[in-house]
Amino acid sequence: MSFALTSFKKDIARWRQDYMATLIWLAIPLLTGGLITTLMGSDVKPHGTLLLVDEDQTFLSELIVGAYSAGELGELISVEKTDFDAGFQRVNDGEASGLLVIPEGFAQAFLESEPVTLTLRTNPSQTILPGIITNVTEILLDAGFYAHQLFGDEIEIITSMTDDPSDAQVAAIAVAIQNKMESVAPKLFPPVIEIEIIEPPAQEPRPPLALLFMPGIILMAVVFSANGLAGDFWREREQGTLRRLVFTSARMGEFLVGKALAAAVIIGFVGGFTLVLGFLYHGISFAKLPSSLVWIALSGIALFAWFGALQMLFSNQKTASIISMMLVFPLLMAGGSFFPLAILPGWIAAIGRIAPNGFMAHNLTLEITAPGPWSISLLSWFTLIVAAAIGLSICAWRLRAGFART
Amino acid sequence: MPQSDTVLFTTMLTVKELSKNYGDFVAVDRISFSADKGSVFGLLGPNGAGKSTAINCIAGLLKPTSGHATVAGHDVVSDGKAARRNLGVVPQELALYEDLPAIENLRYWGKAYGLGGQALEDRVTQVLEYIGLNDRAKDMPKEFSGGMKRRLNFGCGIVHKPPVILLDEPTVGVDPQSRARLFDMVEAERDAGACIVYTTHYMEEAERLCDSLAIIDHGKLIAQGSVDELRAKLGARDVLQLSGHFPVEPTKQAISALIERGNADLEFLAQEEDSITLTLSNASQHLPAIFEAVSGTGGSVSETSLRSPNLETLFLLLTGTELRE
Repeated sequence: MSFALTSFKKDIARWRQDYMATLIWLAIPLLTGGLITTLMGSDVKPHGTLLLVDEDQTFLSELIVGAYSAGELGELISVEKTDFDAGFQRVNDGEASGLLVIPEGFAQAFLESEPVTLTLRTNPSQTILPGIITNVTEILLDAGFYAHQLFGDEIEIITSMTDDPSDAQVAAIAVAIQNKMESVAPKLFPPVIEIEIIEPPAQEPRPPLALLFMPGIILMAVVFSANGLAGDFWREREQGTLRRLVFTSARMGEFLVGKALAAAVIIGFVGGFTLVLGFLYHGISFAKLPSSLVWIALSGIALFAWFGALQMLFSNQKTASIISMMLVFPLLMAGGSFFPLAILPGWIAAIGRIAPNGFMAHNLTLEITAPGPWSISLLSWFTLIVAAAIGLSICAWRLRAGFART
Repeated sequence: MPQSDTVLFTTMLTVKELSKNYGDFVAVDRISFSADKGSVFGLLGPNGAGKSTAINCIAGLLKPTSGHATVAGHDVVSDGKAARRNLGVVPQELALYEDLPAIENLRYWGKAYGLGGQALEDRVTQVLEYIGLNDRAKDMPKEFSGGMKRRLNFGCGIVHKPPVILLDEPTVGVDPQSRARLFDMVEAERDAGACIVYTTHYMEEAERLCDSLAIIDHGKLIAQGSVDELRAKLGARDVLQLSGHFPVEPTKQAISALIERGNADLEFLAQEEDSITLTLSNASQHLPAIFEAVSGTGGSVSETSLRSPNLETLFLLLTGTELRE
């Protein structure tokens, strides 16, 4: 097997010259993975700023300001008081989600049931936060309307007073409000509608979505590099070295073994790099790294062998390359590189797991989400080894049957 | 150590009744020849004559349809591995790893032939010096000139010091300087005792390098022997080429009439409307009669060329066509 080692070293040395290809094999999955992780794996909640121009400066206008800052709404929206010109400029510059103008005389108009206009200008480049601000404003206005309907008499008494109310007047208004509250309380607390909360059946906790994307992303790097490396059969043929090899006393089988081992190392490097990044990001135990790496390298050999066998079936390098690339993207789609199989409907996931890279990604998912290392079943290991062996046998047959001789 | 066998006999390559068919097309038709240790055997013929097919059958790339070939006593089909160990092939097209340093190319091909350890290192150093790439050993062939690549291609074919070397049109597309260097290397290998089979369609190369040769056309050997033996087939006749305008049939008849009138060794080599090529003894003395015969047919001569016979003339005589077609 000494020539296998020679063949291996030769391919590793050649690969080291072609670092651009490796960068491309890494860049596409890392870029995709980075985008997906940013979108799916982030805990950052949206947060916006509501600029408020309070030209009324009354108790009621302060109440509105307080309403935006209260409770969970306060976690989403910060309220900043400003003057109209500065606020208008900031909203136009996209620095705030909205600008609410409470005009002078707002409280008076509200108490006397006169028309009044609240102006809300929202940032068109945002969708969610301005929507929330609009809804909250409408709710506040509705609440004001119902408060007016319910306590209209009391409000009228208060507004008609010219002097400070006496204790008796305050007590009378308070009692009246209390009586009304008691009369509506049975309808509001608890609500008339009874809600029965039915707990859904307990489910096993699913790993974070970004983690489920990781195996598909890694397999994307493996598929790209395996396909690229499989093209080397054609490159060797075009530069005459395969033909020259036939003139020598070296065995074609050893040449192929060396090439497959080199592919395993290169794919192991590319896949391993993405794997380590994923382990670090998701905090996966590094005890699972060796098993995951071996699985990736073996997957790489199998994919390299099958891509190689496929490419050697065609009559010229260009056709082989185009057909092979055309196969890559449907494979990635089916195999869960763009949508993890775990989140797809059962029947689609079942189809995906039949795809070679889907099978590999599914087992890698099992490995990295299992409690301990070496969790992939023996049957899966066996299946992968057999697939790699069959692919390499077809490559050997094709090389001997004429591919290397022409 | 190179794994070539210790050779005690002088005939290193034997080809007997070798044929290669592709369906109904006969690419090589029952050719036989042999080549000795310390000699250069030329296989000459125009492009498409069957030279490369014959070489590929000997090298084990193609399986002969019939017949057989032996290299250092080993049959190329039944004992292929041993035959290949004794054979170095320098293919017509470059066969190098462009992205592997020159020295690594030599190491790789040396190992492919079973060399290893210090023997390989010594031989690689020797070959690098021999092909003049010592100072470029660590450079990639993709940075080399065409001539340097050719030399490295040659080096990769002989790195295991084979007793039999097949050179398939090694000078195609090579500049004159590199060609001269390749000739020197071929002669050095021959002087070192190698049996070299050299295919070419350049007669001047064959005349310079080959001790013996065979001419192949349409898959058949049409002449074989040493260069002197083949030249002798033409005798001491000159080759006369006339350019101008020559009506085909009348010219043919006029020349035939000249032959009948006592110019027995006058022979037509080739005729076209704008040229005729003849061979005859003492051509200068017969020029007036030939011009007269040509003008009698309504033809005209614009240019006359007289030269001594060479292998190209022989090829023309044997096949009626120019070699470089």
